[in-house]
Amino acid sequence: MKKQVLIFQLNGEPVEILSDPAESLLTVLREQLGLYGTKAGCGKGECGACTVLLDDRAVNSCLVPAGKVQGRKVETIENLSQGGKVHPLQEEFVEKGAVQCGFCSPGMVMSAYALLKENPQPNPEKVKVAISGNLCRCSGYKQIEEAILSAAKKM
Amino acid sequence: MSYQLVSNLDQVLTSLRDASGKARVVAGATDLYLQDLPYGLVDLSCLKETTVIEEKDGLVNLGAAVTHTAAASSALVLSKAKALAEGCEVIGSPQIRNIGTIGGNVVNAAPAADAAVALVGLGAEAVIIDIEGNKRNEAVEDLYWEYNRSSVDSTREVMISLQFKPCMDGEGSAFTRFAARRALALPMVNAAARVKLENGLIKEVRLVAAPVNPAPTRLVKTEELLIGQPLNDHTMAMIEKAAAEEVEVRGSLLRCSARYRLHLVGVMVARAFKTAAARAMGPGKAGE
Repeated sequence: MKKQVLIFQLNGEPVEILSDPAESLLTVLREQLGLYGTKAGCGKGECGACTVLLDDRAVNSCLVPAGKVQGRKVETIENLSQGGKVHPLQEEFVEKGAVQCGFCSPGMVMSAYALLKENPQPNPEKVKVAISGNLCRCSGYKQIEEAILSAAKKM
Repeated sequence: MSYQLVSNLDQVLTSLRDASGKARVVAGATDLYLQDLPYGLVDLSCLKETTVIEEKDGLVNLGAAVTHTAAASSALVLSKAKALAEGCEVIGSPQIRNIGTIGGNVVNAAPAADAAVALVGLGAEAVIIDIEGNKRNEAVEDLYWEYNRSSVDSTREVMISLQFKPCMDGEGSAFTRFAARRALALPMVNAAARVKLENGLIKEVRLVAAPVNPAPTRLVKTEELLIGQPLNDHTMAMIEKAAAEEVEVRGSLLRCSARYRLHLVGVMVARAFKTAAARAMGPGKAGE
């Protein structure tokens, strides 16, 4: 496939990479940029494990052709902890027991992060909608909702 | 598969012409990207014409690449086309809605695509341009070739926008849906209604149900029965019965049995009508 130069902002830093624009953003993030925090799950937009932010909105990176990020802003789970300190969302996921196997957690946290960017004090219903595209098969959703609401109070 | 992000309409048409049938237009790409087709993808999701949300010349004009999230949260759509906002806010998941588009929802040609059902309910037309530069307008319900296949040939035709008359005073629209889960689930049945009232009587009405055919389907016999009728329990009961009688449905392992779906068609169409009529009456007059 023909590669092209993609210039975009990744986790606050400008990046310029040579990629196949038809490759998924998920593959480019993991295999080309070494950002393994974003998980590869179902590969068809149903589980939400690969959720990243594109221009501040949650998207399934498995469904986004990499060429779509040209000139735009991408944020992954790696950007949440700053200066060696984890983000309040991550803190509360641990605190509330919202993590078991942890596979869904990066996507779940990114969906929550997108919600709090848009709506810093969401009600429980908004939280449910925000994570409705993320599947968790072990901890259950109640603790996850509690963690997000609790993080919103702390932020 | 190859992929090209273009920045203006001329580029889209030139790319399609150059590819001679081997490239197709894509916007959100959420459905097409998964199919890994042996086509080039020409992405028109960043064009001015395809992302506009405006009211112009007496019509609501929505670019075909307006995302479901953008449509569902637009003040214009919420006030003049509530059915579309309601259809868009239940598609897939937030991640899908943030990138999937209303034009894609129509051209992907799924028989019960929520935005498409709402658009047919509103009476929307698509503005389409082909690679020779010929423009045409066509009703959304006429864009279905067969199950899951649009009559829009996206190797040589581009849907630019969707247009419909805004709901004015005395008019209302609504969308309803019934599915096994509230996210990432196909609807067993979805429905849309647009109603215009005059002196408490039904002056104009559009009722749509899906999936009962390859395309979102207008219930024209039920609509005819309603013209001139008052809003009361008798009318509501009539809608439920007439809507279910007007369609033929089949059972599906993906959705539900034929019998249950037939029941749902009546219930969901009547609910959409009731909400649309309440909106037509205006705030405070019907518990709205």
